[in-house]
Amino acid sequence: MNALLELRAVRAAHEGITVLHGVDLRVGAGQVVALLGPNGAGKTTTLHVAAGLHPVQSGRLVLGGREMTGADPRALARAGVCLIPEGRGVFPNLSVRDNLLMMTFTGRTREEIEELAFDRFPVLGRRAGQIAGTLSGGEQQMLALARGLATDPAVLLLDELSMGLAPLVVSRLYEQVAEIARQGVAVLVVEQFAAAVLGIADHAAVLVRGRIERQGRPDGGLRDELSALYLGSSA
Amino acid sequence: MTPTEPHTDAREPDTTAGGRLPDSRADRFVRELADLKIPDPAAARAGLWLRLGAALMVVGLVLAVSAYFVSHNTQNPLDQRDGLALGLGGIAGTVVGAALFLRYSLTGFLRFWMARQSYDLAVLADRLSERDLNHDLTSTDAAPR
Repeated sequence: MNALLELRAVRAAHEGITVLHGVDLRVGAGQVVALLGPNGAGKTTTLHVAAGLHPVQSGRLVLGGREMTGADPRALARAGVCLIPEGRGVFPNLSVRDNLLMMTFTGRTREEIEELAFDRFPVLGRRAGQIAGTLSGGEQQMLALARGLATDPAVLLLDELSMGLAPLVVSRLYEQVAEIARQGVAVLVVEQFAAAVLGIADHAAVLVRGRIERQGRPDGGLRDELSALYLGSSA
Repeated sequence: MTPTEPHTDAREPDTTAGGRLPDSRADRFVRELADLKIPDPAAARAGLWLRLGAALMVVGLVLAVSAYFVSHNTQNPLDQRDGLALGLGGIAGTVVGAALFLRYSLTGFLRFWMARQSYDLAVLADRLSERDLNHDLTSTDAAPR
């Protein structure tokens, strides 16, 4: 079976400065791929390219075996590409219920969306009337995930899920991500802090200055090399 | 650990109990992508149409104004008719350009505005129906006078 998401030799730039220098990535259905790397490596740009939000200079974006380079991001979102951006992407001044209500544009009813969200994240059900901005960071991230799931994604792109969260919360969130992947969703996770995501990832790639320096199964060797890349010394 | 070439060891989705869904969603995804009929990105770009619309508007206006001077500064009726034709062409170009510009610049904004409007209306409707319900339950008015 073809990979659901594939980047082939993608080069992309910000204001004329090339930040991705030929990135190759594949994510299959039901697979979690972790894209790791230090700050400024181009991880978020890679996600934006995959979501169609950032143009490529060269290379190809292939979804479900079809060439989609340069396609309208709204069309990709309608087809099932869902990006959960860094910073959670919830409406902070709306309640949890209203945040979920905003996802009814997907064609699902309010009841269906709430059932899906509250089954997976029971804490959201208990806080349905609470203003989203007053939720804890972990709960906001759960809400963002629930909103993403309401779109019935085939490809889920997660940007820095763990940012600002306690390790225990992060580990619970990643358990949910693994569960989502088991349902056949291709998940690409961008992370600066590798520990949590490597526990659930089927494959990991290390992006440094816009180039994939290493990729493979997330075993001990990769962890050692990650430490070396972060610390700038050989493992 | 392998070098930088893309991996080929992608875990195939389960085909057992938990894996019944993966195939179906993935297949549906591929089908939906095909159904979208996404145009060749090189062939049509919204930004290109937007710039073309703006350019047509400006060029049309310039043509219309210059046509006025063409027809005004000559006694030759043939030249004056050329000026008329040029002016009409310029106005047509401006109208088409404005339509293109509006189509590709305002639609995104209007879509968001309409979504916001419908959301506000839904909230208002909820509030009104709630108020009516409360009023019905607590009202002591016997009948309208």
